[in-house]
Amino acid sequence: MSEGLFRISPGFEEVMPAEYKELVADGPCGREVGVSDLGAFKELIEEHPLCAGCSAALALRLILASLPKPEDTVIVGSTGCSSLAFTQVAVHNIHSLFGNQNAVAAGLKRALRLRFPDKVKDVVVIAGDGATVDIGLDMVMQSWFRREHITTIMLDNEVYANTGGQESGMSLRGMVLHMAPLGKRFPKVALPEIAREAGCAYVAAISPAQPKRLGRVVRRAILVAREVGPTYVQIFCPCPTNFKFRPDESLQKIKQRQKEGAFQVREYVSPEAQAFLAELEGADHEE
Amino acid sequence: MAIQRVVTPEHLFFEAEREKQFITGSEAVREAIRRANVDLAISYPITPQSESMHLVGDIYAEGYLKEYFRGESEFAVMAEVAGASMGGVRVFTATGGPGTLRAFEMFPTWAGARLPIVCTFLTRGVNSPLTIQPDTIEMAFMLDTGMLMFHAENAQDLYDMILKAFVIAEQPDVHLPVGVFADGFFVTHTREQVAVAPADLKLPPYDPYAAPVPVMDMESAPVRQMRDPFVMKSNFISYAAHASWQQEILAAQERARKYVHRYLEGLVDVEHPEAAVLVVTSGTMVSQSREAVAVARQQGLDIGLVKVKSLRPFPREEIKTLARQARTIIVPEYNRVGWLCREVKAVVEDTTKVIGGPRVFGGMTMPPEVVLAQIRRCCA
Amino acid sequence: MRNSKTFIRMSGLGGQGVVTAAHILGMAAAKDGLESTVNPFFGAEKRLAPAESYVRIATEKIYERGEVLFPNIILIFHPHVITLGKCYTMPFFAGLQPGGMVIVNTDRAQDLLREDERAGLMRLEARVYCVPATRVAVEVGGTELSTNIAMLGGLLGVQKLVSQEAVKEALLERFGGGKFVASGTTAALDDVLKSKFNRLAHLVERNVAVLTAAGGSVEEYHLGD
Repeated sequence: MSEGLFRISPGFEEVMPAEYKELVADGPCGREVGVSDLGAFKELIEEHPLCAGCSAALALRLILASLPKPEDTVIVGSTGCSSLAFTQVAVHNIHSLFGNQNAVAAGLKRALRLRFPDKVKDVVVIAGDGATVDIGLDMVMQSWFRREHITTIMLDNEVYANTGGQESGMSLRGMVLHMAPLGKRFPKVALPEIAREAGCAYVAAISPAQPKRLGRVVRRAILVAREVGPTYVQIFCPCPTNFKFRPDESLQKIKQRQKEGAFQVREYVSPEAQAFLAELEGADHEE
Repeated sequence: MAIQRVVTPEHLFFEAEREKQFITGSEAVREAIRRANVDLAISYPITPQSESMHLVGDIYAEGYLKEYFRGESEFAVMAEVAGASMGGVRVFTATGGPGTLRAFEMFPTWAGARLPIVCTFLTRGVNSPLTIQPDTIEMAFMLDTGMLMFHAENAQDLYDMILKAFVIAEQPDVHLPVGVFADGFFVTHTREQVAVAPADLKLPPYDPYAAPVPVMDMESAPVRQMRDPFVMKSNFISYAAHASWQQEILAAQERARKYVHRYLEGLVDVEHPEAAVLVVTSGTMVSQSREAVAVARQQGLDIGLVKVKSLRPFPREEIKTLARQARTIIVPEYNRVGWLCREVKAVVEDTTKVIGGPRVFGGMTMPPEVVLAQIRRCCA
Repeated sequence: MRNSKTFIRMSGLGGQGVVTAAHILGMAAAKDGLESTVNPFFGAEKRLAPAESYVRIATEKIYERGEVLFPNIILIFHPHVITLGKCYTMPFFAGLQPGGMVIVNTDRAQDLLREDERAGLMRLEARVYCVPATRVAVEVGGTELSTNIAMLGGLLGVQKLVSQEAVKEALLERFGGGKFVASGTTAALDDVLKSKFNRLAHLVERNVAVLTAAGGSVEEYHLGD
């Protein structure tokens, strides 16, 4: 989006909602802001209708604060809890259907490349674990095989939360959930490793318990997708509602899992992405 | 890129001098897309469609399209063209039969998102048992997706309708997907004379900023749609929003009527509208019926023929008026369910005039003799 | 209702070129200013499996399409089509029009027809012709792949449906460049053909020779014998 396009037309200043005026005056577009600046700029997401203590909502807030170029980013979402928050997100976003988010994103990215060959247009998929690893795995992996220049972010709450708590491929073995009345019979899918083998140039597993690292991971993933190839970020964000812990315990649960060794923060970077990031981050003096 | 000159749709359709080629229906698809100024086409194989998208791939290699690739399934392909269309480019794809059903969730989504996608459906039977033979049953399922639907009789229609579909689909007051249907094998694999415009002419490009919905390119300021998403609320506003949008899709279909008149030159073609008995049909069944009607008229029978070209919008008034003066309406079809017969019955005032059938399905060729026998029975 | 039109059914085995033969015949008819439509049978193409194609030729516009159910002429590209039932149309001669014509690729006519088939064809007053198409293809064309052209030669030897000049033009167009569409397997065979003959002109010339030779070697098979 060209500079100055995001403004309020003369005469409409009075009627525009306050939060929109703030977004125009103090939003992240065209500025170098990130997770560390939260509170010092107007965020892209306003209020959201997700549950109290939802760590996916926190993750989404952190992702949106970490977009390297929000004024030229289009997000493709899918069905699930996260889709309920997107109506409040101030970048163009598409609700695909359920599972076809990476296919929609691939078509969109190619269209934007045709229309804006000399301009950055980041396409970022943000979807839940059911959409990514179960119903949409085919299209997720095919987009990686084809080396589509898109970033895939999974909000991994280990359950179909929006439909009331059914087992997903990302649930842990033994978890008793709807549709798994005797406990899940197979382990959590190792999607980061699958992503690495399927052609992703950059893969990371992270959680909102480490907000700065999450911000850096998301930024890296989007920049690598722009220049090198597909990228995948898996964000562990357990669901207080379906796993029945207190809203203020979400981050504690993540840290506890991490301490037990059952959740590992990790990054896989292809040699090409490594070289690209070294050059970029060296120049930025970020590291 | 191939060197081509943009001309008005009117010039390409009605004025440019045409050359006759002895080609198949699949090749007619290629010739239409060659002149359609398509940005992106996405393919996936299924008999009897595959050849048409191979050929689109060939002209991509020659520089007539900017982008082309093979997707991973029909559902994915329909999602990929949706994403590309939301990104503001002109897209094309094709499928048929089981592929249509595999992709089905996307079709109402295209219409609901007001995407002017043109898709060719080269129809075939659906399982089970396994079949790859011609049958139009998938069209029954497609009637209420919100898409516009044209039905080609032959390769000539297929060529013309695909090109015209882009122009109708992209009208700002329409902006809906168009399915151009042709009977698999009977059209795709049959070689016949097709008159085509010069290959160095093409349609004007798609203008995404004339669309009635914002293009998803972050070139316009985003709006926050609402504080709470519709699915969270059982309230009048959420119901009204969805209901009014469904009605808007239907209204857009109605607004397409004038363009179908202009470009397809009517929703129906009629021969001998004054006849006591009318055969009303669509697709290649029109061809089989033409042979039967010609023989019947030679034998002095009072019979006419109505070719339905547009199924969505449906020629409601046309059929109603024709049915008023006719004694009997015969509706032959290439499917078991008789969807065209249902459509006709839904608009005529006296449904007892409408005789469904003959119908063949499962792949068989309708012998014109069978249509003739029905005509003889109805004229007796 | 067929009198002004010639409807042809070509039955053979996958790889024998029934689809290509129909294409060339239909294209030649169009070049002669006749109306014509051509289509293959509708099914999976497999080598040596039954294969069929259909050609309609007329002086006026042809509308009907699909399988030819009531042919005036049946071409049989391999005797196994009838002797071993290598065909999806059964009984094989069902639909043949009275006074119709059957042309079989064979070297030896004996044991070709069952008694009931012979009787049925006699009732229809059909005429049956034999043409050693494969032998002519090998001897004159130097390759069995020209069998389909030899079959067309046999047909034209009996009935001048199209001119030899038009067939020659059709051959040029069919094998001359990327202007035609063949199935994947047919395209592969075409490459074999092209490499065998090396030069297109030579290919066309040899095929025209096959066409002529086959036309001269047709013999009527007398049903009454």
